[in-house]
Amino acid sequence: MNVITSILHLLLTGDFWQSTLKYSVLLLLPALGGVISERSGVVNIAMEGMMLTGAFFAVVFDLAWHNPWLATLAAVITGGLIALIHAVVSIRFKADQIISGIAINILAAGMTVFLMNRFYGLQGIDRISSSEALPVIRIPLLSDIPFIGQVFFDQNVIVYVAIILLFVINFTLFRTKLGLRVRAVGEHPQAADTAGINVYIIRYGAVIASGLLSALAGAFLSIGISNIFVPNMTAGRGYIALAAMIFGKWTPYGALFSCLIFGAGQALFDYNSTLPVSSYFIQMVPYLLTLVVLAGFVGKSVPPAADGIPYEPGGE
Amino acid sequence: MAVPATPTKERQPVLPPAVSRRLAQIGRSVGLPLGSIVFAFIVGAIVVVISGGDPIRAYQALLCGGFGLACSGTIYPAFQISSTIVKAIPLVLTGISVAIAFKAGLFNIGAEGQLVVGAIATTLVGIRFADLPPILLVTLVLIAGALAGAIWGGIVGVLKAYTGAHEVVTTIMLNYVAIYLAEFLVTGGPLSLKTAGGNPRSPAIGSNAILPPLIPADSTFFGLPGSVYQLSIALFVAIAAVVVFWFLLKRTTLGYEITAVGQSQRAARYGGISVRRTIIVTMLIAGAFAGLAGSIRIAGTSVQPYLTNSFLTDTTGFDAITVSLLGLNGPIGVALGALLVGGLQIGAPVMQSDAGIDGNLVYVLQALILFAIAANFLRALMLRLPAPRNAQPSQSSVEPGVGAYATDVEPAAASTEVREGT
Repeated sequence: MNVITSILHLLLTGDFWQSTLKYSVLLLLPALGGVISERSGVVNIAMEGMMLTGAFFAVVFDLAWHNPWLATLAAVITGGLIALIHAVVSIRFKADQIISGIAINILAAGMTVFLMNRFYGLQGIDRISSSEALPVIRIPLLSDIPFIGQVFFDQNVIVYVAIILLFVINFTLFRTKLGLRVRAVGEHPQAADTAGINVYIIRYGAVIASGLLSALAGAFLSIGISNIFVPNMTAGRGYIALAAMIFGKWTPYGALFSCLIFGAGQALFDYNSTLPVSSYFIQMVPYLLTLVVLAGFVGKSVPPAADGIPYEPGGE
Repeated sequence: MAVPATPTKERQPVLPPAVSRRLAQIGRSVGLPLGSIVFAFIVGAIVVVISGGDPIRAYQALLCGGFGLACSGTIYPAFQISSTIVKAIPLVLTGISVAIAFKAGLFNIGAEGQLVVGAIATTLVGIRFADLPPILLVTLVLIAGALAGAIWGGIVGVLKAYTGAHEVVTTIMLNYVAIYLAEFLVTGGPLSLKTAGGNPRSPAIGSNAILPPLIPADSTFFGLPGSVYQLSIALFVAIAAVVVFWFLLKRTTLGYEITAVGQSQRAARYGGISVRRTIIVTMLIAGAFAGLAGSIRIAGTSVQPYLTNSFLTDTTGFDAITVSLLGLNGPIGVALGALLVGGLQIGAPVMQSDAGIDGNLVYVLQALILFAIAANFLRALMLRLPAPRNAQPSQSSVEPGVGAYATDVEPAAASTEVREGT
């Protein structure tokens, strides 16, 4: 009983929903990346590594240039570059995409710490001063609305960017020719090829897009929320994003829905001292929910038909 | 070229000299892991040079630290070799776990989670039955770990067989469930040691549960007191596991069924093999091997005989994938792969102190090895293949049917069709 009343209390506070949205966005960006990549037929379990890369380079460039905007841009580009490795290995060399994804994650974990020690030595990386972090933007007037203002209009700039990206990606994927092509390549590449679509270019673009989006989330984490880089700081968020993508049945709005649930879990974790349940159980929830969905108890989650299969022209 | 532990050395004497075709075949298959290692070390050398280091010195230190070769100064080669073996033991077990799943066309990324529940079960049993005599208790903790791992792997197998849920995703999810379960148990949970300060951990398991050391503590072994060597009878557990894996694959019906299912589920089904049963049994066995690795993590030495909250950053389960791929999913290959990966990780601190190259380079090397094996760069170069159009449909360089969400199940049918005849 006690548990329920304390959770209900939390649910009525604007603070809680504000952090829920913040944490959801952190998961939503890589999840959207995953949706794009897998819709085009390339399995992507490397969001974790791409995020970590983005988080690291955002701090590196911010410390060097004292400009969070340029640092974010540069970090996003590094995310695109590491995604390019995944793309080349799995599209051009037709490698096993899961092994390639694991390799990206190991590479990112090792490379970021290797470079961190190389660049900053044993004293470790410096904190970003909050004046050089990605800012929280209070939207005038709107942020004064009680509750709603705090939740939706008093957020980090990346939250607004992510919400715009969500609509853009959903529209592109389901309402434009480009989106149709991406989905065609992921469902039936042979037919798409016959129709004159370049399967390889679409897939390269989709994988790189997943790197850009994941790295943006990484930058949000390191120079928007934490203002520092620590080794392995993504701590499995890329994998939660993977879960969110599947839980959301490979659609942008589905991903949003699952990210909100998982983000609320993260926000609960922040308030766990006021809750009489162990925070570790709360952290398990995203994974358990995804298992339940995968087991088919709550509607089946079916991947794109050609997901994970390297394209062979003329093959069937 | 500083390439340690070449798998060829162990393999060649096994072959009768007359069978030259077999030899060529093995040469070809060994070419992939060897070529990948060479590729990784060359690219790694470039990374070292760019970051302002000396790759020869770095690799020499790595070789010394990991394999006791070409050592100078204050390093004790025997101690380094012993540490590498200790490091390799859980890698052999988790490597077999991944490899046997690969054989059935399943991708077990869940060795980590299976290891964690094995460690939890070992800790529980090791504390609860601390008064039992050593032989009995050691057996019991090993069985507990294997059993817990088997259950964790079995869940994946059942989900795969009955709902078509892809094992890559379910194993990743179960990894985190296991990791947070361990964190809960030691941080304020029923297993937490309530003493002030220090990292959260469980109480130590009973001393009777700890696997006896191979080198007596009061002896002197290669210039060092025996107590510093962590080598225990866990070594025999790993050797036994390799033998069991070999026997299972080559000498039993089950092994035949596993391989058959891995090569073609449809053909296996026409051959009268129950695909569902084979998938579940394979995952049970895979989980048991990884669970054993968890037992050894806790009870393998007296250094840290308790559960900690360190699993979130533990990489054994992912290292196991490198091990298994390097070892071409075979028993001897996995053992050699584990020694290589273990040696790299033990050598890393020596490389850091002697050559001033950050030890995390070994993870970069490991990632490069994985890329090279997955992409089969070597073959692509030899065949001048990268002209994807007009190419022959290429076989996956790994195991058949592994990797894609949709390839290894019959996608549409998998969820509905009852696969066992009528």
